[in-house]
Amino acid sequence: MLLLLLTIAAGLCAQGLDSATLLKPPTDTWPTYNGDYSGRRFSTLAQINKDNVKSLALAFSFDTRSTTLKCTPLEVNGILYLSAPDNVWAIDARTGRQIWHFNRPSEGDHLASRGVAMYQDRLYFGTPDAHLICLNAKDGKTIWDVEIADVAFGYYLSVAPVLVKGRLIVGTSGDSADVPHFLEAIDPEDGKVIWRWNSIPKPGEPGSETWPNKEAMAHGGGPMWMPGTYDPELNLLYWGTGNPHPVLAGIDRAGDNLYTCSIVAINPDTGKMVWYFQPSPHDTHDWDAVETPVLFDGEFQGKPRKLLAQASRNGYFFVLDRATGENLLTAPFIDTNWASGIDAKGRPIPDPVKEPRTNGSLVYAPAGGATNWMAPSFDPETKLFYVNAQEGSSLWYLTLGPDGKPEGHQGGATVSFWSSSKIVALDYQTGKARWTRSIGEGENNAGILTTAGHLLFTGDISGNLLALDPSNGEVLWHNRPGGVMSSSPMTYSIDGRQYVLTSAGSVLYAWSLPPHP
Amino acid sequence: MILRQGLSAEGKAHARAVGLIALLTVLPLAAQKNPHRVPMPASEQDPMAAETAQRGRKDFLQYCSFCHGTDANGGAEGPNLVRSGVVRHDKDGDLIGQVIRDGRPDKGMPALPLTASQIADVVAFLHARLAESDRTSPRGPSTEYALKLLLTGNAQAGKAYFNGAGGCTECHSPAGDLAGIARKYPPADLQTRFLYPKGPPRTAIVTLRSGARVKGELLNKDAFTVSIRDENGWYRSWTLGDVEAEIHDPLAAHRELVRKYTDADVHNLFAYLETLK
Repeated sequence: MLLLLLTIAAGLCAQGLDSATLLKPPTDTWPTYNGDYSGRRFSTLAQINKDNVKSLALAFSFDTRSTTLKCTPLEVNGILYLSAPDNVWAIDARTGRQIWHFNRPSEGDHLASRGVAMYQDRLYFGTPDAHLICLNAKDGKTIWDVEIADVAFGYYLSVAPVLVKGRLIVGTSGDSADVPHFLEAIDPEDGKVIWRWNSIPKPGEPGSETWPNKEAMAHGGGPMWMPGTYDPELNLLYWGTGNPHPVLAGIDRAGDNLYTCSIVAINPDTGKMVWYFQPSPHDTHDWDAVETPVLFDGEFQGKPRKLLAQASRNGYFFVLDRATGENLLTAPFIDTNWASGIDAKGRPIPDPVKEPRTNGSLVYAPAGGATNWMAPSFDPETKLFYVNAQEGSSLWYLTLGPDGKPEGHQGGATVSFWSSSKIVALDYQTGKARWTRSIGEGENNAGILTTAGHLLFTGDISGNLLALDPSNGEVLWHNRPGGVMSSSPMTYSIDGRQYVLTSAGSVLYAWSLPPHP
Repeated sequence: MILRQGLSAEGKAHARAVGLIALLTVLPLAAQKNPHRVPMPASEQDPMAAETAQRGRKDFLQYCSFCHGTDANGGAEGPNLVRSGVVRHDKDGDLIGQVIRDGRPDKGMPALPLTASQIADVVAFLHARLAESDRTSPRGPSTEYALKLLLTGNAQAGKAYFNGAGGCTECHSPAGDLAGIARKYPPADLQTRFLYPKGPPRTAIVTLRSGARVKGELLNKDAFTVSIRDENGWYRSWTLGDVEAEIHDPLAAHRELVRKYTDADVHNLFAYLETLK
């Protein structure tokens, strides 16, 4: 009896997260990388709004004393969970006080950790040596640690895992050793693999006809860099895949190179691909199509549709029917010249003249592409899709070794001449910009959050944190936290007080309206 | 490969650019402000520089390259060793050494008569090849990049473009600022520089409420403030709204041209500039 009472008491105090909550997260929390499965990064919280945002003030800050933060923290039951490569922190979402800190030094690429996933009372995150680790959310102690891929071949995990139907979906990052990549569904209980979906088909499988031979496929790339999205009604998981390898040398991989630079829809029960759309066929510019596939329902040419939109690194905005993968719209959101047109399927046609060449080819787009990991946002109230876009110019070289094979793992090099960044508000039905706002010279990596307070939060390249009016881009508030944002903002509410969380460098800042004295 | 960092704010492509730029000449201060142009750390520069790796390369060429290729990228008979699990999992020769000593008779590889120190050198060479191939900043067209690879254009057509459609003569002259330019910079550097030079910096003329005008090098301008280094060398900043700032960009014409050039224009202009010895 005593045991039963204790169990009940423990149940009442549970700080965890279940599958039902993930399907309809309460509006005051931020339980996944994108806040919910849709990837819209729109919050219904409106305490901080257009009229009072000018009073927004610092509530607390937390210095991780690590590298530049590129994660989006989770907020669940009053606790924030955030990560950097090798590190996870749990901090008090009211005060920023550290609850625990987990550190596990590792070999491998320390480029980024986009964040953790939570399920029940456990946290899950990937490491630079391509392990997936399960921690007890209560105290940060390791429950299990499994190897997902071999770090000796340059594999690592940067993606925040996504929890779908009681399974963790993880994908491998890396490009230094020209290896094929994959998504896996993992049992959160013990780390066992349930299914694997390979970005690159095996010889004879569908898609293999878009590669010249077995050797090219065995080293074809297609890594995962960002968390995907999920539609519970269609039971489809949407994921964007990275570029083919060798990155800049297309000479030994003639063809479209499926399923690299693609948006794929996968049945999470079976791991089988249901449809795909390829934003960048035969990519030679590192135009990963990994940017968030954002899900929303809306009218398209007078008909209600279930839509998926992606502002892709190649500079084109794509709108698809997310049930079928049918392309509804393809439109450039920056001025660029790497493609010579758009084909019947809605795919940009790579201009062979603009492929990297031994004498250098000049491309109108920055070397880093038109956008990157910083989150876009779709605001269902303005019906606009917002993206942090980069424009500029760069020179692309193909470099071959003495044996005539691509030199190094990339087979090329780029020089970026100049770039400038802007927030672009796109009408999803036309792909045309409703407004744009410059956020400075250079490549800015701040993501975007929109809220029902009629606000858009982002940052500029000079280190200003901005609250904009999402209908016209006007500045409503700004602050200088002392560093540049290289992550995507989020929001939550506790005790009736809304907080907006942003990072600058390695420091996390929470902003809220000043409490009554 | 979305994104790689360490050298710059972000982006694999940035890191890649570094490989190209860092090996060019000593960077002026203004260029160092550009995150793409931070010199690489010494350890990244040349994994093949170590003496052991150099000796190992010689042994590799003599004993191994016939099957595995001169760069260990594989040949007609032997596999690519840069992508080999044996090489990638090797620690100080524990795996590679055994294969060299014993061969792989089942796969047609004979045992090789190398001494322990030769084996250690070949191991060093193979690890250096991995580092070279894997690094985030491959060398790209370095200072040694062959002129003949870049020299594909027509110098006459380049000259015509320079004097005509390009409008280059508005600021430049082959007998003046560009005299001997091809001697001054290695070819890959010259191509990069003529497309988008490093500096001179932008300038600003700030008009104060009093009507006074302050001129200087532009340091920052965002939606809220403007800051300059004035002609006396002092840092000065103002809140926009209190002042008006007029920005002058000496590279404005280059920015317009990089949007207009065809690749033929680029290579013709380069061929022409290479004649200015």
